[in-house]
Parts: sequence; C-alpha cells; structure tokens
Amino acid sequence: MPGETPLPALDPMPIPGPPWLFHALWLVTFAVHVVGVNVVLGSAILGTFASLDRDRAFGRPIARLFAEVSTWAIALTITFGIAPLLFLQVLHGRLFYSATVILAPAWLGLLLVLMAAYYLTYAAKYRLRAGKEAALPLALSALLFLAVAAIQVAVHLLSVQPGRWEAALASPWAAFSDRAFLPRLFHFVLAGVTLAGILLSWLAVRRAPAAEDRATAAARATWGVKIALLATLLQLVVGLWLTISVPRDVLLGLMRGGAATMAPFTLGIAAGFGLLVFLARVRDPIADRSSLRRALELFGLAMLLMLVTRHQLRDVYIDVAKAGAAPATAAQWGVFAIFLVSFVGCAALCVVALRRSATDRPGPGGATA
Amino acid sequence: MDYPIREFAVGGGLLIAVVAILHVVVSHFAVGGGLALAVLETAAVRRGDRPMRDLVKRSSTILLLLSTVFGAISGVGIWFTIGVVHPAATSSLIHTFVWAWATEWAFFFLEVVTALAWVATWEKVSPKTHLLLIRLYAFAAFLSLVVIQGILGFMLTPGRFPSTASFFDGFLNPTYLPGVLFRTGVCLALAAAWMAFAALREEDRAARARLSRVLGGVGTLGLAVAAAGWFVWERALPEPVQRLFLGEKPLLAALATGRTHTFRILLVAALLALLVTALPRLQSWPVALLALVACSGVLAGYERVREGVRKPWVIAEQMFSNGVLVTEIDALNEKGILSKAVWATKEAGGREVPTGEAVFRAECSSCHTRDGYLGIRQIASAMDADFAATFLTALRDDGARWKARAAGQDVKPDYPFMPPFVGTDAELEALAGWLASQNAPRTAEVSRAR
Repeated sequence: MPGETPLPALDPMPIPGPPWLFHALWLVTFAVHVVGVNVVLGSAILGTFASLDRDRAFGRPIARLFAEVSTWAIALTITFGIAPLLFLQVLHGRLFYSATVILAPAWLGLLLVLMAAYYLTYAAKYRLRAGKEAALPLALSALLFLAVAAIQVAVHLLSVQPGRWEAALASPWAAFSDRAFLPRLFHFVLAGVTLAGILLSWLAVRRAPAAEDRATAAARATWGVKIALLATLLQLVVGLWLTISVPRDVLLGLMRGGAATMAPFTLGIAAGFGLLVFLARVRDPIADRSSLRRALELFGLAMLLMLVTRHQLRDVYIDVAKAGAAPATAAQWGVFAIFLVSFVGCAALCVVALRRSATDRPGPGGATA
Repeated sequence: MDYPIREFAVGGGLLIAVVAILHVVVSHFAVGGGLALAVLETAAVRRGDRPMRDLVKRSSTILLLLSTVFGAISGVGIWFTIGVVHPAATSSLIHTFVWAWATEWAFFFLEVVTALAWVATWEKVSPKTHLLLIRLYAFAAFLSLVVIQGILGFMLTPGRFPSTASFFDGFLNPTYLPGVLFRTGVCLALAAAWMAFAALREEDRAARARLSRVLGGVGTLGLAVAAAGWFVWERALPEPVQRLFLGEKPLLAALATGRTHTFRILLVAALLALLVTALPRLQSWPVALLALVACSGVLAGYERVREGVRKPWVIAEQMFSNGVLVTEIDALNEKGILSKAVWATKEAGGREVPTGEAVFRAECSSCHTRDGYLGIRQIASAMDADFAATFLTALRDDGARWKARAAGQDVKPDYPFMPPFVGTDAELEALAGWLASQNAPRTAEVSRAR
C-alpha cells in the first residue's frame, strides 16, 4: 500500500527558488534533451537497418549520415540531460534518489552501457568514413541505447510509485514488470524512429537536389517517410496501450485535472493524427516538401504536448501515492541571475561558434586552419 | 539515512573514489588541454609553425573523445554514484548549490559545442575562426572548473555558511582559491603529459624535440603552480583538519603517509618535466607514460587527502558521512536511529535484517564494508560485546562534543575522524552484540581448521 511505504523526510534545506521556476526550467531543458534522445535512439535503429540493406549504395550513405549526426547528438543529449536531472532533484529528490538506490546496479551500470554505446557510434562513424562495414557497431550501439532508455523508464516509474519500492528492493525485476514499463519504452522508441525517419527525408530534399542526385534523394526521402508513417501508426496503438496501462487512480486524476491536463493530452493525440495525415499525403517528397515540413512541425508539437502530459502525469502519480510535499523556499535570486546570464551568454556564444563554423569557408588559395 | 540503503562489496566510498578519480584525471586534462591548445594554436598560427599546428591537430581528437564522451559520462557518473551512496548529502548540496551547478552546466554546454565544432572544422575554416573556437572552449572549460571548485571546497571548509546560510559564504570558502590554483596547475601538467604522446608522433626529429621541450615547460609550470596551490590549500584548512594529517603526530597516519607519497610523486613528475625541458631528445614513450601516470597520481593523491581529511563529515560541520545531521543527534539518541533509518531493516533481496545489523547498515555502512574496504569483520575481530559497547558509548559521548564544536566552541571529540554513535541504549547494545558476533564465525572456522 502506498500509504504504508516509509518515505524519506523532506530535506531540511530550503529550495533556492519557487517551485514553478524549477518546473519551467525542467520542462524546457527536458524538451531539448528528449529531442536529442529521439534523434540518438532513432538514428541508431535506422542506421542499423540501413547498414544491413542489401543495396549498399543506398544503405551505407544513410548509415553514415546517421552515425555522423549521432556523435553530435549524443554529446548534446547527455549535456542537455544534466539540467533536467538537476531540477528534478530539487523538486523530487527523495523519490528520485530512493529509486536509484533500489535499482543501483542498473542505474550505475547505465553509465558503462552509455559510454560503450557512444564509443561504438564513433567506431561506426570512422569505419563508414573509411568505406568499411559498420552494421555490428551500429546494431550494438542501438541495443545499448535501448537498454539505457529501459533503465531510465524503470527508474522513473519506480520513483513515482513508492508503494512498489519494497518489492523492487526485494527483486529488481519488479521494477521492470510495471504494467506501464513496456508501452512507455515503446512510446519513446517509436518517437525516435519517427523523428529519425522524418529528419532523413527532410535532409534529403530540404534543398532541391541536382538532376543527377534526384533519384537518390527521392529514394532516401521515401524510405524515411515510409518508416516514419509505419512508426506513427504503431505509435497510435502503443499510445492506447500506454493509456490503459496507467493505474486507474492516476488516469482518473489526470482526467479530473480538467482543461489544464486534458487539453495538452487531447491536442497531443490530435497532433499525432495530423502527423499521420501529412506523412500519408507525401507521394513525391521532392515535389511535396511542404508536407514534410508540416510533418516535422507536427512531430515537434505532439512531442511538446506529450511532454507536458508526461510532467502532469508524474505529479498525479505522486499525488496518488501521497508523496507530494511543499518544500520550504529561500530564493537565491542573485545566484539565479548569474546562472541566467551565464546560460544566455553561453547559448549566444554557441550560436556564434556554430554559425562561424558553418559559414566561414576561405576561397581558393585562402588559408585554412 | 532515511533512504533505502545499498551496500557495495567494494564499499560506497571506494566506489565514489574510483569513479571520481577516473573523471577528474580526464576532466582536468580537458580543462588544461583547452588552455594549452589555445596558446599553442595561437603560436602556431602567428609563426606559421607547421609542426606545432600538427601537434595541436593530433591532440584535438583525443581531447574530443576523452572530454565529450568519457569526461561527460563519468561526470554524470560521480553524481549518480554519490546520489546512491550519500543521497541525503547529495540532496542537501543540490538544494544549496543548484544554481552553481546549473551555471557550470551552461559553461559545459559551451565547452561541448565548441569542442565538437573545433575538431570538425580543421582544414575547413580560416585560422581566425578556428582560434576563436578553441579560445571559447578554453574559456568555458576553465570557468566550469572555477564554478565546481566552490562546491568541492565547501564540502570540506564551509566557512561561515553554517551560521549565515549564505550561498556566497559557502561558495567562496577558505579553500576555494587555493583549490582553483592547485587544480589549474594540475590541468596544465596533465595536458602536457597527454599531449607528449602526440608530440612523439612527429616524424621530424628536430621538431619533435622542440615540441617536447615546449610541453616539458608547460608541465613544469603546471606542477610548480600545483605545488604552490597545495601549499596554500593546507594552510587554509582549519586547525582540527590539519591535525588529522599534518604535524609530528597526525591522527590519521595513513593519510599523512599518503600525503608524503603524493609529494614524492609530484617530485618525480616535476623531475621528468624538467628533464624533458632540458634534454628533449630523451623524451620517449616510456618517459611520457611515466609522466602521465605521475601527474595523474598527483591529482589522485590530492583527491584522496582532500576526501580523507573531511572525515567524519560528508559536509563539514553539518552532516556526518553516514547522513546524520549535527542538529538531530539529540532527537535520534532519544527516539533511536531506526526510527529514522526505517529502510535499514530491509535488505536488497528481501531479507529482514535484525536490529544490530540494521544499526550497522544505518550508521556504519556508508564507510565500512563487511569484508572489503575498511571491513568491519576485520576491525571487530578483537572485540567482544562489552568492549564494543564501551567503544560505542564513547562514540555516543562524542555527540555532545560535535554539537559544541559545530556551535563554535573549542572542543575536541575523542574520535575526531569517526561520526558519533547516535541511538538508544537498546540499539547500542544490539550493535555491540552484532559486532561481537562478527568475530564468532571466524573463530569457529579457525577451531574447525585446527
């Protein structure tokens, strides 16, 4: 029974800002992180399939593209995973730490798994650059990234259900046998595959290809669209499965939230259907680039709305478990201002660095680094 | 302490140490590498020095692979590990310093982006843009160190924070600047040590010697700064902390020995750096490897001493290494440790834990393993129940002294590197009985063997 589970006491140290601020920062940074997670997961999976394609001339460039994108995406995903983890700990530290202690072997093992997956992606990238086969490192990295996602899902579900802690401490598999575990994991994986498919298509046709490249670009874009379409169709089924796997009290709690909770949820589902429609409409990706762009935008919208729902669902889980609390607050506005200035400054410098990197191309005879 | 408890065969402290030392060696290289590479690439561009430029380029891939992959993940790893071993302390630090960590994260974000862009744009952008990227990287990496040192220093020397609860009093603590100085020096030394391998891949002998000499100079400078930083750092420590490992009769002899060994390693590293500076043609793979190991050893030794002298605290003057707060000593003596550490009776695997063992799990297991690092069976091998009870009673009496010390009184606990025992008489007796029982199986084994 949730009520009987001993919860750690609230930290006596006050939190250094109002809770709404941490919620907002958590959501914003988590959204960026999740885009990265989707790119990494989807790229690893589609890169593996592409590298296994019998038509090497078709598959290898796609696998190489995904491997090149992934090494950047992984670094940024890990970096943007740090911030939401910080803000989560401020708000729900006692729940989060308890879950990680209970699942400590998997939680700490995640680091080794992640590192191995990252280095395998680099290995695949360098092998593909050298014109070599890279199916094995890509497949292994995809499996390892799936394992990382599985551990994260298990820790999340366990942290919001203190009533399951004792069983999970007795046997960690109890955490992985949560009814919502598999649909939640598949929900993430399919989102990743969808995004990777749309991105591949968009990158292939975002600029009108030269006549000699037209057939390749069209084939690549069509492949991406088909995969994204299939993944979105499956997502509808998995979404339904996920909804009915959520404990009844929690689902009712979400529904009782009124427009605040039901509007993002309903609009998110509608955006998913819209995405399906736009993807299904694409017959010639080169001619119909606007549909692809719409699909990308709708994916972004659906993802954002579902993230809001996910955030609200977490609060409902915590309320149902009677594990919520109102911590004391002692705002450190001066230090927050330092953070804000640093963040804005660093983000601006990143933009400058990336723009200069992308546009500064010395002409013939010009010196390069 | 009121969190679920996970015991590790190697010990939680050792687990943190392994992850942390691996991380700091790489992260300090990432910071020092940024500073050194920015200077060297600037010099290469200004002088049109091709071998120097090639050295920087060869070093760039290893910087990227180590800092953005291993460095980033192992950094998160320290956090994961301390969260599992010391959840209450992690929570307390997060509540106090989340904006500092967030600021460090902002600089880390810039560090990662510029590292990726810098490595990806060799031979693509103008030297001016490339220099901008490495300078931004160096700036971001160094500032991330400047920020994180505030939190690391706070854990050992919180300064006026316990009385004022002011962020800046905690952040700008007495060992903040000495720590920054020491770490900056080690960063440079480690960067020079790592880059020595890239210099050895230069085919032209004269150029190789010149590059080795430059790196030897960087390493010498770094080690000199590190030595100065350490010197100032020791003098910035409070007197009770100094007594633990300094002077003629240090209370923690093993730590004093570790300090001496670290100085010897620093001397070896400095001699190697000077040797390569003076006679660069002697630079070779074994010498470079030895220098790298020595520089890593200096940093590892410092971290060991820094962590060791924090005993018995995890956050000085506030929280003991087992998660007990100074402010809750009296309440826990009255109500019992197990009134708070309710998870201590529930072990992974589902076994119900008896009271004495549960008290061990709550109060001792964050530092002591059963048979491994600081193994309790070894320590308790000479104890019977009466002896253990006497020892624990003395530890409990220390509780009042720790409280007085935290309140600013000049009081010396009898066991200055052990947290006080907190709990009821019944819990004390139960732990004493359990400790004594740890000796029994071994005695029985010896008897059977005879």
